[in-house]
Amino acid sequence: MLTVETLTVTRGGRTVLRDVNLTLAPGRTLAVLGQSGAGKSTLVASVLGLLRPDHGQVRWNGAPLPRGAAALVMQEPRAAFNPRLTLRRSVQEPLRARRLPDDPVRLARLCRGLELPPESLDRLPGQVSIGQAQRAGVLRALIAAPPLILFDEPLSALDAMTQKHTARMISELQREEGFAALVVTHDLGYAAAHADAIAVLRAGQIEETAETATFFAAPQSAYGRSLVEAAVSLGALGRQTAA
Amino acid sequence: MRAGRTILHPTDLSFAPGDRIGLVGPSGSGKSTLCHALVDQLQARGVAVAHVPQSPDEALDPLRRLDFHWSQAERALGLAPDAARRAQLLRALDLEGRPLNVRPWGWSRGMQQRFVIALALLASPALLVLDEPTSALDPIVAATTLELVEAQAARTGTTLLIVTHDLGLAAARARRLLVLHEGKLVEDSDTGTLLTKPQSTAAQALVAHRNWADLPC
Amino acid sequence: MRQILDLLLRALLVLAGAALLTFTLLWHAPGDPATTIAVARYDSVVSQEIIAQIRAEAGLDAGYWTAFRHWVTPLLAGDLGNSAVSGRPIWPEMRTAMALTAPLALSGLLIGLGLSIPLAMLAVRHPGGWVDRGAVAVASLGAAMPAYWLALLLILLFAVKLLWLPAMGTGSARHLILPALTLGLGTAAALTRILRSALLEARGAPFLPALARRGVQRRERALSHIAPHAAIPVLTVAGLELAFLLEGTVMVEVIFARPGLGGFLIHAIQARDFPKVQAVVLLIALVFVVVNLLTDLLYQLVDPRIGESDA
Repeated sequence: MLTVETLTVTRGGRTVLRDVNLTLAPGRTLAVLGQSGAGKSTLVASVLGLLRPDHGQVRWNGAPLPRGAAALVMQEPRAAFNPRLTLRRSVQEPLRARRLPDDPVRLARLCRGLELPPESLDRLPGQVSIGQAQRAGVLRALIAAPPLILFDEPLSALDAMTQKHTARMISELQREEGFAALVVTHDLGYAAAHADAIAVLRAGQIEETAETATFFAAPQSAYGRSLVEAAVSLGALGRQTAA
Repeated sequence: MRAGRTILHPTDLSFAPGDRIGLVGPSGSGKSTLCHALVDQLQARGVAVAHVPQSPDEALDPLRRLDFHWSQAERALGLAPDAARRAQLLRALDLEGRPLNVRPWGWSRGMQQRFVIALALLASPALLVLDEPTSALDPIVAATTLELVEAQAARTGTTLLIVTHDLGLAAARARRLLVLHEGKLVEDSDTGTLLTKPQSTAAQALVAHRNWADLPC
Repeated sequence: MRQILDLLLRALLVLAGAALLTFTLLWHAPGDPATTIAVARYDSVVSQEIIAQIRAEAGLDAGYWTAFRHWVTPLLAGDLGNSAVSGRPIWPEMRTAMALTAPLALSGLLIGLGLSIPLAMLAVRHPGGWVDRGAVAVASLGAAMPAYWLALLLILLFAVKLLWLPAMGTGSARHLILPALTLGLGTAAALTRILRSALLEARGAPFLPALARRGVQRRERALSHIAPHAAIPVLTVAGLELAFLLEGTVMVEVIFARPGLGGFLIHAIQARDFPKVQAVVLLIALVFVVVNLLTDLLYQLVDPRIGESDA
C-alpha cells in the first residue's frame, strides 16, 4: 500500500507540491490528472525518492519505500532507452541492478502479454516503432516484478488506436501481476477507461480524489468539471445517448 | 502527393461554405506532409486556404515580436494596416487587450496557437486547415480554442478542415468525415453515417476505438 | 540592467585575474631579472652594484606583494609605468605600436567578413552542390594553412614575382595590403565554415514553411528571419575570432617587419622588460574582455531569449 502524506515540495523558492495526500492499494490504478505545470513530474520524482520533500513523506506499507520497489515508465519511449543498447539489454537492466537471475519464462510471458515479438528485443530503440518501444518500456518496468509502477504520460506519444490497445494490454498485465499503478496524465479518456480512482492535481494541490465512476458522474471541484467538459468536447469521452 | 505517392487529390475535396470536416488517418503516415501538400496545391489553384500547423513553433519566429508577425502578414496579403480588424480578430479568439509587443514565447502555448489562428483568419480564407489542433495543448485550452475557432468560422462562412489521428476528436467537432488509409481516401460521409455504418474496414477499426469510454448522462 | 552590471563585474574580475596571473608568472620566471635588465640596458658584462641598483629601483627586492602593489597602484590611475630597460614611460611607445596594429587587425576582420559572407551565402544556395563543396574545401584548406606559410606565399607572388606590392615595412597603405590579406584569408576560412552551417541551420527553421504559406516573400524570409537566426552562432565566433586576430597579428607583424604590438611584445620578452610585457598582456586581455562583453550584449539584442530567466 502506497501512502503519500502531506507531501510538500519547493523548488527554487516556488511551492510545486503543497500538502499532497494519496493512497494506492496493490492491484489498483490511481490516475493523477493535471495539466502541464501542475506538479505531476515533481510528484513522480518524489514518489521515486529522487527529490527530498520539504515536508511529508512517501511510504510503502508504513515504511519508507524500499530501493527498487518502484519502477517508472516514461513519456517518450525512444528517449527512455540508451540508443546504443539493444532493447533486451535495457529491459534486463533492472534484474542486473538488483543481482537477480534472468528469467526467460517470465520474459517470454510478459512479451506475449505486450505483443512484443521476441526478435524485436534484439533491435535498437531506434529500429522499432514508437508503440513497440513504449511496450518495451513497460516490459522493463515489469521485469523485476516491483510492487509499484509509475506511469508518466505513458500513452501521449502514441496514436489514438495504439493508445487504446496499449492501455488494454497494461490493464490485463496488471490483473495478472497485481502491481499498484500510479499514472500521471492529462488524458481523461484513458483515466476514465482504466483507472480505479482519480486525483485531480492543480497548481501543486489535490483538488479532489474520488473513485473513477463517482468522479466522472459528478466531479466535485469546478476544475474537475471543466476537465470533464473538455474531454467530452474533444471526443475523448462520449456521452451515452438514449440510443 | 509527395514521394511519388498519391494520397489525396485536391479534386477529391469539394467543400460547402461553413462546413466542418474531419480528415482522419493513422499517425506516422505523414499527415503533416499531406497537410502541407494539400494547402500548397489548393493555394496554387487559387483557393483561399490558410493553414494552422500542429505547434506554434512551426508558425512563429521566436526572435520576432507578435506585432511584427501581424503587420508582416498584412503586408504579405496586400492589406493596409487596420487596427480595428486586428482588434476584432483577436477578440474573436479571446486575445483582446494582450500586448503584442512581445515575442511569441512571452505568451502561453495556448495563446500562441490562438494567435496563429487569428493570423490565418486575417487572410479571410474559404478553407482553414487545422493540423492536429489539440496535440500541443492541454485539454481545457484545446477545447476552448476549438470552440472559439468554430464560432468565428461560423460567422465568416469559413470551412474548417481538422486533420487528426483521433476519430473521437474529429467526430466530436466535424459534420463530415474523410478517412485515409494506406495513402488512399477510403471513406467520405457525414459524421453520423460514418459512426453508425462505417463502410471500409479502416473506418470500422477507427470507430471501434473511437472513445475511451462513454459517460453516463 | 542587472545582467549588464553582472557582465561588467565579471569582465572586471577577468581583467584583475589576468593582471595577477601575468605578474605572478613573470615573477616566478627562471633567471634573475635584474641581471637580464642590466645586460639589456648596458649591453655588456655589468658589476654586482649595478645589478643591485637595478633590483632596488625596479622594486624587485621588496618581495612579491610589495612589487605587485608598486605595479598595480599607478595602473589603477591609468599609468602603465616605465620600461625597465630604457626607463621611459611605456604608454607613448605602446600607442605608436597600436596605431600600426589596430588598422591591420580591423582590415583583417573586414576582409574576413567581406569574403566569408558572400561565399557562405553562395554555398548554401545548393547544399552539396559544387559551389558548396568548393567553398568547404577552400575554407578547410585556409583553416589548415598556417599564417606564416600563407604570408610567404603571398610575398612570393605579389612582391617577388609580380612586383605589385612591397614585401615588408610600413609607410603607406600599400604596405598594409599583404599583411591584412594574410590575416583576412585565415579569418575568412574560419568564418565561412561557421557561417555556412549557421545559415544551413537557420534555413531549416521550423516556422519558415508557414511564413511562405502566409505569402511572405523569399527576400523578406531571408532578411527578417534567416539572417537573425544565422547571426546568433556567428556572433559568438566572430567575437572570439577578433580576439584571436590580435594573436595572429603578432606573427604577421614579425614576418612583414611591421613595428606593431607584435614586435613590441617580442622585444620586451627578449629583454625581460617585465613592465612592458605586463602592459601588452593586459592590453590583450582587455581587448578579449571588451570583445566578449560586446558579443554578449549584441547576443541579447539579437536573441532576447538569452538572459531571460526561464521562470
